[in-house]
Amino acid sequence: MSEAQEARPLVGIVGGGVFGRALVRAASRTGEVVVWSRRAPSFDLPNVRVSTDVAQLVDAELVLLAVPSRYVSLALDTLGHHLDGGHLLVHVSRGLLDDELRTLSAPMRSLTPCRRVGALAGPVSADLLDAGTPGAGVVGSEFPEVVEAVRAAIGGPTLRIYASSDLRGVELAAALTGILLFTIGVAKRVGFGPGTIGALATRGVAEVSRIGEALGAKPETFHGLACFGDLIAAVGGSQRPEMILGDAIAGGASSEDALAQAGGSVEGIEVAHRVAAFCERRGINAPLITAVSALVSGRLDTATAVRKLMGRQLKRE
Amino acid sequence: MSKPAPKPKTSRVRDLLTKPIRLPQWFASKPAAHAPRIFGFNDERDMVIGEVSARVVAQNLSRGRASLEVLLNETAHHEIARLEKQRDDEVREWLGFWQKVVRKLARMSEAEQRQTLREVVEYMAQDIAGNFDPRVYNFALKTLPGLIAGVMSPRELARGAVMNSGRFALDKLIEISGHVDHFRNLAEVGTMVLVPTHSSNLDSLALGESLARSGLSPAVYGAGKNLFTNPIISFFMHNLGAYRVDRRVKARLYKQVLKAYSCVMIERGYHSLFFPGGTRSRSNMIESRLKLGLAGTGVEAYSRRAVRAKARGEQPRPIFFVPMTINYALVLEAESLIGDYLVEEGRARYIIEDDEFSQLDRWIAFLNRLVGYESACVLRFGRPIDPFGNLVDHRGRSLAPDGRIIDPVRYVSRRGEPVLDPARDAAYTRELGRVIVEHFRRETVIMTTQLVAHVLFRYLIEQTPGSDLFDRMRRRGELRWDHADFVRRYSETRDRLRALADAGEVHMSDHLRTDSAERALERAMGAWDGYHERTVVRLEGEEISLEDPALLLYYQNRLVPWAEGLAGSGEGERAAALEIASFGGAQ
Repeated sequence: MSEAQEARPLVGIVGGGVFGRALVRAASRTGEVVVWSRRAPSFDLPNVRVSTDVAQLVDAELVLLAVPSRYVSLALDTLGHHLDGGHLLVHVSRGLLDDELRTLSAPMRSLTPCRRVGALAGPVSADLLDAGTPGAGVVGSEFPEVVEAVRAAIGGPTLRIYASSDLRGVELAAALTGILLFTIGVAKRVGFGPGTIGALATRGVAEVSRIGEALGAKPETFHGLACFGDLIAAVGGSQRPEMILGDAIAGGASSEDALAQAGGSVEGIEVAHRVAAFCERRGINAPLITAVSALVSGRLDTATAVRKLMGRQLKRE
Repeated sequence: MSKPAPKPKTSRVRDLLTKPIRLPQWFASKPAAHAPRIFGFNDERDMVIGEVSARVVAQNLSRGRASLEVLLNETAHHEIARLEKQRDDEVREWLGFWQKVVRKLARMSEAEQRQTLREVVEYMAQDIAGNFDPRVYNFALKTLPGLIAGVMSPRELARGAVMNSGRFALDKLIEISGHVDHFRNLAEVGTMVLVPTHSSNLDSLALGESLARSGLSPAVYGAGKNLFTNPIISFFMHNLGAYRVDRRVKARLYKQVLKAYSCVMIERGYHSLFFPGGTRSRSNMIESRLKLGLAGTGVEAYSRRAVRAKARGEQPRPIFFVPMTINYALVLEAESLIGDYLVEEGRARYIIEDDEFSQLDRWIAFLNRLVGYESACVLRFGRPIDPFGNLVDHRGRSLAPDGRIIDPVRYVSRRGEPVLDPARDAAYTRELGRVIVEHFRRETVIMTTQLVAHVLFRYLIEQTPGSDLFDRMRRRGELRWDHADFVRRYSETRDRLRALADAGEVHMSDHLRTDSAERALERAMGAWDGYHERTVVRLEGEEISLEDPALLLYYQNRLVPWAEGLAGSGEGERAAALEIASFGGAQ
């Protein structure tokens, strides 16, 4: 073991899903890892300890939270009994919590005493982490040591971790990009060419950055890895569930069937209705997301959605 | 050997007028052992200045010579630009000095540059540092309530019972509520940093009076240098713990000295007061984005205490932040503030030179109006929190959300050791600002004038769909509302507010809880009429005429965070409430 590996404090990972397991394997390359998961997955790695006892996380400095957003409150409630101000807490979720589009860092701060919190986002897939192919992600946090800790845990010669102080922007970008991925899935299925997809992606980013700005995020965050990077990865061929869902809906599948094809639960799409309602309430112009919400709930078919979007009044970019 | 660095000219006249005037020390007795920490400040003043200067000088010297040269050059240019606009004694004293610095800087040796930095920093620290004289404090405590009461009711003055009646009148006028006992307990075990909302220049008076009445120690606070130009006010300010903040000075170095002064004072255990919003709320909305500014030095002070305590093997003495709300039924400067808000479209000017605060007749009208309005100001102490936003128990121990006792030193530690880290502390300060905003909301006390204005302004929006704010401001006296309909809507809205208050989301003044809708309208009109120069609302037969949309906007703005929850199910009312809620912007 090298000196650098010895110096890296214990990393805790919460969640044994696909992404959680990929994080474990990536972090095990740099040092000791403790995993807290109710599934108790097995890893044939000497420096990985798996436990169903949350107290095992107390010795970790960085704790990575890799559970779906609907289970986050439960997980944080439990973590809140054990963690303290010394822990650095980072989530990888793409979800939003409620009708006010609160991001996960809010309950991280209110249910635990942790303040040094962050979010990992961007085109960092489980495959990329596993294979160690070159890639990049972004950590949103106001605390430089949080970014440093994530870099030390999973960064390395093949994974560049960029820093952003706009935590809210990174979280919103990660969540709202899921909706844009759905539109790419639809466009590809319909047979639209690269020009259409380029226009869709660009105007989509403009729309979500508008929403982000209304929620206190910096618009430029949406032009980085957390949104644009993720979107280009999808166009380039990554098979995200949101795209599969879009593809299925455009192919005529019912909402339920499409969801089943996409794996049963798609975080990016679950928020579409809430985002559309929020935009309507706040008077934010969001034609694409309104169309996605209507498509997913079966209130609109693809052809009508395209006609409506293209028929809007023209304006300056 | 090179020539010494340029020295500023001194001005005796200016010194006499603006520098601390102290009472002779011949009759001053030593503070008692149990006296508040600030009573012994004057004995420590030189040490504080020395510590501040040493810290700022060391901080800048550690960055190397090139950086020092840039700093001096930048400071000189900022100061020259400022002094060239000013026409006072300070120009004669310092303009030449800074011009010489610019001319000679490139030829100065490193030792000369260091010496120049030391002189400038020491001067700045001297200029900022306050004083505290217990005799002046006791004098002010005895006379100020009487003087204010005398202004309110000159007949009392004639009866020669100013002291007692003044105290009695102020007791009735300013109601103190909230977690006062908790505050008192914690002031014994740690250093308190008070962070109140800021609506009026009267806030400092109301706070000082309330701390004294509650038996709490006075706090040090920064006051704008413009308040020191009057020798009498300057005398009181200088001797009651205020330190001077010159907002005209833009130099980075000055801000460093100011922050260092504030940090050293908190580190040394002086209870401190900051208005974290920076300036009075122009719109009367509760501050929703706090930069904290100097208040943020409380976080750095805690880190420094933690590092020092660790070296001694001890726990650091805690620092507690206390969010407070100052709630007025009637605001002295309302017309100027809302005018400024509308004209500047929210871009805050820090100093309004000619507002109602500087006009004696407006003071008298204002105070007279308040005589019949018991508890016209409610000052509410919020729950104390640690520098990281955690609640604390009665012994000052930090609590996790589940009520578990946690060690605050862990927040400033890396790998188990407390360390100084300005970037980290800046992030904690921003986080603390968000937490204080949440406390501000929960500790706000809604007054009758505010709810009446909210219901009326919401109606104005409902009746003018599609108009913008400025169009609505021009609709003076254009809109009338059936009194009976107002009574119904007001009662429904108040019931919803009561439900929010019962859920702990906000507080209501006693009058607001008990008055009928008819009495509430009378009370609000009674407060506004005769003080505000423009009529706010007129009752004509069975109709209410909305006369001044700007003042209605000002008073109703206190309710912006709850606007959605206060609206009924009617489409027009809901749309109007959503529009009001949007005044607050992104949260």
